[in-house]
Amino acid sequence: MTASRDNLPEPSPGEPLAEERPSYVYEVFHQSRRSAAHVHVGNVNAVDDQMALNFARETFVRRRPCVHLWVVRREYLAGTPYDLDDLTRSTDHSYREASAYQDVRKKWEQFRTRKDVDEYQKEDLEEAW
Amino acid sequence: MSVSAHAEVPPPDQPDEDPELLAAFQARIDSGDLIELDDWKPEGYRIGMLRMAEHHANSEIVGALPEGEWITRAPSLKRKLALIAKVQDEVGHGQMIYRVAEDLGKPRDQMLRDLIEGRTKYHNVFNYPVPTWADVAMIAWLVDGAAILNQKTLADGSFAPYVRTMKRINAEEAFHFKHGEDMVLTLMGGTARQKKMTQEAFNRWWWPTVMFFGPPDKQSKRGEQLTKWRIKTATNDMLRQKFVDRFAPAALDLGLKIPDPDIHFDESSGHWSFSQPDWDEFFRVIRGDGPCNKKRVGIRRLSYEQGRWVRRAVLGAPPAEAA
Repeated sequence: MTASRDNLPEPSPGEPLAEERPSYVYEVFHQSRRSAAHVHVGNVNAVDDQMALNFARETFVRRRPCVHLWVVRREYLAGTPYDLDDLTRSTDHSYREASAYQDVRKKWEQFRTRKDVDEYQKEDLEEAW
Repeated sequence: MSVSAHAEVPPPDQPDEDPELLAAFQARIDSGDLIELDDWKPEGYRIGMLRMAEHHANSEIVGALPEGEWITRAPSLKRKLALIAKVQDEVGHGQMIYRVAEDLGKPRDQMLRDLIEGRTKYHNVFNYPVPTWADVAMIAWLVDGAAILNQKTLADGSFAPYVRTMKRINAEEAFHFKHGEDMVLTLMGGTARQKKMTQEAFNRWWWPTVMFFGPPDKQSKRGEQLTKWRIKTATNDMLRQKFVDRFAPAALDLGLKIPDPDIHFDESSGHWSFSQPDWDEFFRVIRGDGPCNKKRVGIRRLSYEQGRWVRRAVLGAPPAEAA
């Protein structure tokens, strides 16, 4: 069994590196089902979009469900620097969160108890009347 | 990302790198920050990470070769399916890790040629032969088991593109190990002939797997700097101890005898005591004198040279010929 690969060619010295069409890095985005957002899963090397899609399927869709793949050449992606948020994050932004509006509940309660008192007074008046 | 000359011996910290930048970088590492591809990094970090990724990618590809030989010889359809899937995974993982290495500055073709021409290496364990089906089981159980122990620590590393790849790989390799366990459990629960074959395979793979984690820490030249930069997050000896602590009792549970006369559980330390492997053999094999080095690299060369027409068909002829 282990003898099956003994007829291997001898190394050929000094062969030049293959010069092929330029290849590009494609970033790969994977959509697991129709309502989901595409998620970045990694990248592949390919000479054109079709090859990139084929390689992306081979590399990233061996098991997980996938209804749709996007590939984009890396140089076509524009991005922000990493310290983008430093300035804005130094101030309190809780006004953008629902959890900063807890007081609303107390205020509803005030309205509702006042309404109860009004109803009560109305009943009193009816009875008196 | 500019393409730089292929890395030979990595220098330590470049003497002309700004000490403030180096200190700031180390502070990022120490605080648990992850380094993305375009972040500033010392040249030694780039080269150290590149070498490790290249070695890892080479190992994934070469590791698939002995298993590929057994696809047509698997004893059942279920085993054949699992083996095909495992090999497919490993080649795919090699692709992903070569991408990380490429982004760190070494062209893919240079990496493929360096492997063929012996300038770069892969895990020593793949230089050993796989003569029986029980050897396939042992590789999936012991070697994948060892690799997973190692790769879990690599997923705690500092270089984000590699860490993301490791997390994906760890999730996918979980079944490789489970399948290995299934094969070994089946064989050791089988006929006397199966048990004998399995014991003999275990005897062939125990020591190479113990050596999988690399030479003892005190002999490992670059380990310290790589750990400081969180490229490695566990030492060779730590991982080796973890492996023995887990697999020695498991092997004994299966009824296997371990080919180490001194192996025993040490109550006082809570760990398994074991003999040091033959490190002379390790260095001899890694330098090319192992039973299968020429064959493994030979198959890569065959694929590269005889696959030239495939690359041309897909990628197009070199510019000079197209005229």
